[in-house]
Amino acid sequence: MSTWWAVLLASLITLGAVPAAAQQGVTDSEIIVGCSNSFSGPLAFTGEQATRFGVDLYLKYVNDLGGIHGRKVRTVYYDDGYKPQEAVANTKKLVEQDGVFAVIAPQGTAPVVATLDYLEQNRVPLLFPYQGSPVTRAKRFIFSGMTLYDRQSRVMIDYLVGQRRYKKFATVYQDDEYGKTFLTFFEKELARHGLRLVAAESIKRGATDVSAQIAKLQAATPEVTFLVLTPGPAAQALKERQKIGWKDTLMVSTGPLTDERYLALAAEAAEGVEGLSLWPDPLTSDLPGMRQYRALMQKYFPKNEPNRYSLSGYFAAMLFAEAAKRAGRNLTREGLIAALESLKGFESGILPPLTIGPDHETQKQGFWVRVEKGRFKPLTDWLRSE
Amino acid sequence: MRRLALASLGLLLLALPWLVPRYFVFLANLIVVNAIVAIGLNLLSGYTNQLSFGHAGFLAIGAYFAALLTIHAPGVPVPLTILAAGVSTAAVGVALGVPCLRLEGLYLTMATLAFGYVVSEAILNLDWLTRGADGLRVPVAGLGPWRLATDVARYYLVLAVAVLMVLAARNLVSTRTGRAFLAIRESQIAAQAGGIHVAAYKTIAFAVSAFYTGVAGGLFAFVVGYLSPDAFDVFLSVDFVAMIIIGGLGSVPGSIIGAAVITVLHDWLAAFQNYRPLIFGAILIAGMLFMPGGIARALRVSLTRGGGV
Repeated sequence: MSTWWAVLLASLITLGAVPAAAQQGVTDSEIIVGCSNSFSGPLAFTGEQATRFGVDLYLKYVNDLGGIHGRKVRTVYYDDGYKPQEAVANTKKLVEQDGVFAVIAPQGTAPVVATLDYLEQNRVPLLFPYQGSPVTRAKRFIFSGMTLYDRQSRVMIDYLVGQRRYKKFATVYQDDEYGKTFLTFFEKELARHGLRLVAAESIKRGATDVSAQIAKLQAATPEVTFLVLTPGPAAQALKERQKIGWKDTLMVSTGPLTDERYLALAAEAAEGVEGLSLWPDPLTSDLPGMRQYRALMQKYFPKNEPNRYSLSGYFAAMLFAEAAKRAGRNLTREGLIAALESLKGFESGILPPLTIGPDHETQKQGFWVRVEKGRFKPLTDWLRSE
Repeated sequence: MRRLALASLGLLLLALPWLVPRYFVFLANLIVVNAIVAIGLNLLSGYTNQLSFGHAGFLAIGAYFAALLTIHAPGVPVPLTILAAGVSTAAVGVALGVPCLRLEGLYLTMATLAFGYVVSEAILNLDWLTRGADGLRVPVAGLGPWRLATDVARYYLVLAVAVLMVLAARNLVSTRTGRAFLAIRESQIAAQAGGIHVAAYKTIAFAVSAFYTGVAGGLFAFVVGYLSPDAFDVFLSVDFVAMIIIGGLGSVPGSIIGAAVITVLHDWLAAFQNYRPLIFGAILIAGMLFMPGGIARALRVSLTRGGGV
């Protein structure tokens, strides 16, 4: 048996021989940032687009122009396959081994929330995670990415009640933090207008049959039915509605759902669906920042079609680069946070002028769209919530 | 010679947090947790030949049990929490093991696979208890006046538990029970003819295996600090099976080596992003092709050939 222990011992020694960590992620010639994200698992497409074709796209552009105060930005990404324990392992590796300056654009509520305490304790900035649960709000080292779900609910209800004069609302929601956050805030915002939900049906994550829920919703005869789902079940819900010929309700999608993949899955059943869009149309928008985004995509990744996931990563990198520039040559984490907090009316050419307050939210808006001939057609200008 | 090797290994393990980069301590914790699961799974699959693809389910039960106990009864010292996690998971193991007595081979594998799915669905649906898909934040473990708030503190907890579990496993396999397990693996009919109560020993194997995995689950909760059903999918069960196959079926040191190899491999391959599953699969296939019987046997063969220790 002694051989065994000798072998174990030898292997442990070899495993331990890992190089030591660098200081803080800023050298004379380099800034290192990175994240743990989904490159395998259910959200692999989103993860890869946001990082390698989003964050990296903007940083390639910045680096080719000479970098930030003479420093090139290098990115490090690790795959967590949407598993929280691997996200924790990867994040510790990023901070302690790769010595990243900041974590940028990780994805998903569970993997991101699993790393929050660790990043706060170690005072590592967490920049623009791609998730909408309000748990990231108003923390010293965290800046939220997408418009948080409670704000989205408020924008949607205010628009539908205030401008469109609807009174009878129902919702079908995914039975998790994403769905329930919307549900709670729909109820709260409707109560502000003296209204309430006439029906609320839940769908467990991963469910494929939604016919019972749709039938119950139809029986409640709402004027507006909110879909708080992921693309697969939402497309099922639209097809089910078409099948049973339920026409006298307006289907409204929440922000995270309003994407191209959902349209592709639902096909003609999506026609006439309305929703909140958090990003300008990546393929057709004429905003100057959007034209530049497409031009850069064409230049650096000509084979990759523009989409809102890579756009979200691109925008995150743009904000980071802007703040790092403002923080000056002597870049520190505190300096970066101060620079982000000093952003007032920043013009990205993609989203409306951006000001970051003490809540550390970078996005507080969306605009209304309707699906016409398989594309999102804008119906309003930006709708904001303060 | 043997004492010397053991003593130096012990010293090395005790000093490990000061010899390696800080980040590696967390990885070491994961390795040790996985090693306990692998030993438990090996007792069931390697020794008794009852292949399980549902051990992520047992791990989840142990983890949630320990987390919920710590949340609702913060005064309970951590060794008791871990023990309770193991015992409750063992009870579930018996409940699964008894109906599985009627199943063999592929059918048993299917049943355990289904068990893994059932557990993760149950966690999703019992959201009043488990907080469902939102996940559960695990409080810091307490041991008398101490709070195990750092990776290093947790390393010593995990290591202490693992040493006990390894010693227990090594004793178990050389007792009457261990020999009965092996007899069942070689031939159930022959074992029965030899006077071994096959049903009883298979149930014991399930219970012991679940106990090990439940204990590991309890440690997992404190090591990771956050639980969500996403953590315990079927691929984790497959990883556990890969650990014992790569390490060596029916070998306690093999289980430990397998757990270390697979855990480090996952960590190392994370940098390959999209290519991770592909490379991981290729390495597994190569491992099984070139080291049938696992790393444990390959090493033993090469050491004896080389006229080693």
